[in-house]
Amino acid sequence: MSEPMLKLEGIHKRFGELEVLRGIDIEIARGEVVCILGPSGSGKSTLLRCVNLLEPPEQGEIYLEGRDICKGPGSGQGESSWDLDFVRQRVGIVFQQFNLFPHKTALENVTMAPEKVLDRSSEEARASGTALLERVGLADKLEEYPERLSGGQQQRVAIARALAMDPHVMLFDEVTSALDPELVKEVLDVMRELAAEGMTMLVVTHEMGFAREVGDKVVFMDEGVIVEQGKPANVLDNPREARTKKFLGLVLER
Amino acid sequence: MNEILTQYFDLSEMSKHFDQVLNGFVITLELSLIAGALALLWGLILSLLRQLPGKPFLPVRFATIAYIDVFRGIPLLMIILLISGSLAFLPLPDAITIPHWFGKPDTFWYGVMALTITYGAYMAEVYRAGIEAVPGGQMEAARSLGMSHSQAMRNVIVPQAVRKVIAPLLNDFIALMKDTTLVGVIALNEVALVGRDIQGKAFNSSALTLGAIMFLVVTLPLARFVDKLIAREQRRFTRGAPRVEAL
Repeated sequence: MSEPMLKLEGIHKRFGELEVLRGIDIEIARGEVVCILGPSGSGKSTLLRCVNLLEPPEQGEIYLEGRDICKGPGSGQGESSWDLDFVRQRVGIVFQQFNLFPHKTALENVTMAPEKVLDRSSEEARASGTALLERVGLADKLEEYPERLSGGQQQRVAIARALAMDPHVMLFDEVTSALDPELVKEVLDVMRELAAEGMTMLVVTHEMGFAREVGDKVVFMDEGVIVEQGKPANVLDNPREARTKKFLGLVLER
Repeated sequence: MNEILTQYFDLSEMSKHFDQVLNGFVITLELSLIAGALALLWGLILSLLRQLPGKPFLPVRFATIAYIDVFRGIPLLMIILLISGSLAFLPLPDAITIPHWFGKPDTFWYGVMALTITYGAYMAEVYRAGIEAVPGGQMEAARSLGMSHSQAMRNVIVPQAVRKVIAPLLNDFIALMKDTTLVGVIALNEVALVGRDIQGKAFNSSALTLGAIMFLVVTLPLARFVDKLIAREQRRFTRGAPRVEAL
């Protein structure tokens, strides 16, 4: 338990003139669940996308299991300088808009990457894919196409798809924000279970209840910096910073 | 009125030359299918070259765009003439410069080359529209699952893109089929040239009309089929995302 699972140091990211991340430091221990809160535009999603190098940072270091996956500040050497295989096979991500492959069935969505990337046999991939879909409660939807599934079901397929690569860290990018209210719980339940099984998770969310109950740590971000972080009870119930108080006031008053 | 009927629709003229015109139309069909298949493939390759990511592939992307722009901008007839007139003089093996593959004359293959070069450029643009219509989240999802760019293109992007553009690709195929008549100018006995020869000797256009009717027999059902595909695609589009009855 000595070295952190994931360590971010001084992450900076800009899109043109706009500096979206302005020096982010986070440490995540193995098995820890860290929830990131903050107003929209605060850089939460960009931070997640930095971690799996979908949006590589311009400055700062990312250590995944002790390995620097983003070498050198401003490493403008293109993709060749990042260890994409190392990252993408250890870090799974689930998106707000599901991004399931619409031309593939639920099971094919889950088996594609293990077959193509990990060279698993199709029987092996189907067996473990079936088990994963059962685990997220979709045993009866294996052969359905995404358009025939509800949002909550699609999102659970997306979680199973990410898990199929045996990730060591899971990133969740506002995964319940696009769902109808009655479908949120089924997705959060799957995430709760994952957390209980010891998965390391970095969760961008607006679900305060989930952050309080499941999070080991809550990080509040605004305007590209971390304003406050700590135990959920401390940050959510006794925020020290004015910006945190204001945000929580707006969210919890609804 | 009678003159119109005898000039264009003289049934005895038509039946007298039916076999000749049909033979010409068979050549037209062969040319269309071979050039059509090659153009579909070449267009896809061009569109994929155009999508190669990163700095190292900048020259490839640039060359591909230049190719597409150039050959969409030059009349097919001129490409046919440029190939047929000078390819034979290039310092390459005769098997390539004066091709007689599968028992077909060199003029047939010059036509195939010109049609593939030109329609490959057109179709590359159609594929590109399809590729760009696939939401960016698809590539992100594939890449974040560890797939390489080419794996993501092959398994995720291209299958969706092709589905979206089957109708416009078929439209291009219909246009290609009609443009095969231009290969008649280099003395390939396709249906238009056959009809024209008869017209010149008989001072009557009915054989050409017959050739035109043969075109319609193929192009009309194809065009209807394209309309159906487009309508189906639009229904899919307007129906929206998840269906409630699936819950």
